[in-house]
Amino acid sequence: MDVLLQAIASGLLIGMVYALISVGLTLIFGLMEIVNFAHGEFLMLAMYAAFWGSLLFGLDPMVSLPATVLALAALGVLTYYGIIARILKAPMLAQIFATFGLGLLLRGLAQFFWTANFRTVPDSFLAGLFGGTVRVGAVSLGVPQIAAALLAGLAFAGLYLFIRHTRTGLALQAVAEDRGTAALMGINSDRMFALGWGLGAGCVGIAGAVLASFYYIYPSVGVLFALIAYIVVALGGFGSVPGALVAGLLVGLVEVVSPTLFGFSPAYKYAVVFGLYLVVVLIRPRGLFGQF
Amino acid sequence: MSALLEIHGLGKRFGGLAANRNISFDVNEGEVVGLIGPNGAGKTTLFNCISGFFPPSSGSVRFAGQDITGWPADRVLHAGLARTFQVVRTFPDMSVRDNVIVGAFARTRRLAEARTIADELLAVTGLEYLAAAMGNSLTIAEKKRLEITRALATQPRLLMLDEAMAGLNPLERAQAVELLRTIRGRNVTIVLVEHVMEVLMPISDQVVVLDSGAKIAEGPPATIVNDPAVIAAYLGGKYRPRLEATDS
Amino acid sequence: MSGDRPTAAMRQVSWAWVGLIALAAAAILIPLMFGGVAQLNLLVLVLLYSSLAQAWNILGGFAGQVSLGNAAFFGIGAYTSTMMLIEWNLSPWLGMIAGAVLAAVFAVIIGYPVFRLGGHYFAIATIALGEIMLIMFANWGFVGGAVGLSIPFIRGEDRRPADSWLFMQFNLNREGYLIIGIALAALVTVIAILIQRSKIGYYLRAIKNDELAARTLGVNVLRYKLIAIVISAALTAMLGTFYAQYLLFIDPETTMRLELSVLIALVAILGGVGTVAGPLIGAAVLIPLSELTRSALGGAGNTLDLVLYGGLIIIISVFQPNGLVALTRRGGKGRSTALPTDRQEAMAEEAPLLGGGDGR
Repeated sequence: MDVLLQAIASGLLIGMVYALISVGLTLIFGLMEIVNFAHGEFLMLAMYAAFWGSLLFGLDPMVSLPATVLALAALGVLTYYGIIARILKAPMLAQIFATFGLGLLLRGLAQFFWTANFRTVPDSFLAGLFGGTVRVGAVSLGVPQIAAALLAGLAFAGLYLFIRHTRTGLALQAVAEDRGTAALMGINSDRMFALGWGLGAGCVGIAGAVLASFYYIYPSVGVLFALIAYIVVALGGFGSVPGALVAGLLVGLVEVVSPTLFGFSPAYKYAVVFGLYLVVVLIRPRGLFGQF
Repeated sequence: MSALLEIHGLGKRFGGLAANRNISFDVNEGEVVGLIGPNGAGKTTLFNCISGFFPPSSGSVRFAGQDITGWPADRVLHAGLARTFQVVRTFPDMSVRDNVIVGAFARTRRLAEARTIADELLAVTGLEYLAAAMGNSLTIAEKKRLEITRALATQPRLLMLDEAMAGLNPLERAQAVELLRTIRGRNVTIVLVEHVMEVLMPISDQVVVLDSGAKIAEGPPATIVNDPAVIAAYLGGKYRPRLEATDS
Repeated sequence: MSGDRPTAAMRQVSWAWVGLIALAAAAILIPLMFGGVAQLNLLVLVLLYSSLAQAWNILGGFAGQVSLGNAAFFGIGAYTSTMMLIEWNLSPWLGMIAGAVLAAVFAVIIGYPVFRLGGHYFAIATIALGEIMLIMFANWGFVGGAVGLSIPFIRGEDRRPADSWLFMQFNLNREGYLIIGIALAALVTVIAILIQRSKIGYYLRAIKNDELAARTLGVNVLRYKLIAIVISAALTAMLGTFYAQYLLFIDPETTMRLELSVLIALVAILGGVGTVAGPLIGAAVLIPLSELTRSALGGAGNTLDLVLYGGLIIIISVFQPNGLVALTRRGGKGRSTALPTDRQEAMAEEAPLLGGGDGR
């Protein structure tokens, strides 16, 4: 029982991080129906930004977080104007592969310049906080994981409020709904798309800075996280922000709880997650929160 | 002898919205039947229900004596019922000829035969000179003509045309009417959706009028144009109570 | 006016040219390349990847269903024949057929649910499937787990490694691999051409162009997509068997990793999606290029591969979405075929106004 509680708590915590990584992806898709296949590499770059900030300037990932987020947002905007804006009207194949190519390029460059070695941020603030773990009853949780989940929650709340309650957020929604009509209302969809990419990449920046505090950093670190993010987004319904949150938690839970519950090797946990995705889309092709 | 197409009590709901309500009418072999109604009357929904794009919520569709209610679109086509779209859907990255060949493959497995069918029909509809052009390089009138040619290549007994005239200039419209006459001469029954009445009247044998999802009138064009309910539907609801009062 | 329009006839002609040039190049190059092991290896790889891309093209190019999980089929082929060989000492030729059948069955099982999804969903679902296969095989002791499987040498009377057509193994005269490679490439290409010129090919193109319109013309969309994935999977699995026999060693990483799926698709995209010549051109350009960077830069070449692939993909997607094949068409006309639907619609709306006096 305690083992199960422990698994549930851990699952929910990692699920929050998955949700945060995924929300940027779903935001961009909801806005312009393009999947950013370089999403994992964005995350990887954010983690390296935190790592280099710590190594070169002695800044803790939490201190450099704003800079990381800004850098990532800039990368997102740059990606939009440099690549995405040029392929908006291209066939779907080109759309899929353009960002895929960007991902490969970034990963290759990271490997070339920073080697494939695993890096960690030594003595990060989050890892040392409260001795690193907290016990609640029989459940012991890592402080970095809790902080990550809390930050993810905050980011989610902020994003939600921004989209629902600011003029710019409403303009974003309008563009997502109908580009043409939004344009008639005087909304520049090009700028909204760029903003979407900035926001989406910025969210990844937060996730990367947090993950860098307690996770290994290496060039292909983003691959698995991105895969999970695609699953989360598809599961939650492409373009649905609440869907990303629920699906992120669900994936985190399934990943950690299922090996405990059914007693198979954790090595298969991702196979179970991908399997879950296939089952869900079989029943609900548009995902849990997807439209029609 | 029963009619070629029998619509009986057909209804379609989208959530709380009833797009079609209890619609019944017959289409006899060899006729040209016009289906008219103001925007939002449910014409396209009716088309989609009949042609298998979504199953009706109630009622039945019989075609050539067979109950085809709820059949998927490709099966409906093989039963002998073809359709075109209001917003043209030519295959953009295929040549005009290849567009038609896809249609012809509904009746043959052999490419040579499909080509023969396609070339023959391109000649009939006057698109031969464009046979090699790509689908996305056509004007809207050419695209509509291509869609009709493509549908004819499936050798249908009944052809349903969704706004085949919309967006055409007067010359193109006259040519389209000419084409319909040709098609009719090939023993293909036609159901024609338009919301502009004038287009339909000269070529229709029967006219069915829809308004707000229900059938409000049916008959030969001459009687339909004088039908008070139809006039009300076209002139607007303001006149309806008065007209209905005089009607009863 | 119709004279300015891109026509299908132009395509046919350019294909014929491309095919002729490719044949001529092969006829000249093959004898030259018999010189060394490295050249032979390169040639086998070009043949292998062009065939893999051609098989991918049937699904991704003709039918427009972008698969990023074809490595899973490749792995099934490699593992099926290898296990049958190791466990039962059965010829890889039998294993090749068994692997193709198994991959086809697998393709139907996954295709059935996944094909109901839209484009992006399908791509992601195939990634997920590839990853599941990778994880399963890496943790499955029976098939060697992450360590992989070695295929034992065929030995002659003198106990030394020997050649055997029956066991598809050529340790002395490696030209045997080249001949099989050419035969497989020819098989895949012929199948692609036959499909392209048949009802299936027309229907797949129709599905790629407009699924809804295809349905109204009587195309059972799911059925034809399944036909495409079954053919693609079976051919890919056969090539997997060949690859296993060529390397005599397989593990989940080399046969099923995502990068392999991407490379397969990239070869087709680089050359030109949906054309028979495209995968041949793509492989002929990309594989030597990638081998060249490897040999020039040593170990670093492995990572620069990614940079090369990535950069190429971006450039093609942005500037030449129809691939290198399109360059062979006059004046870059190929690009106009990539017009997005909404822009066509916009053009179509204007057309009656503009084309009113076109004097037909």
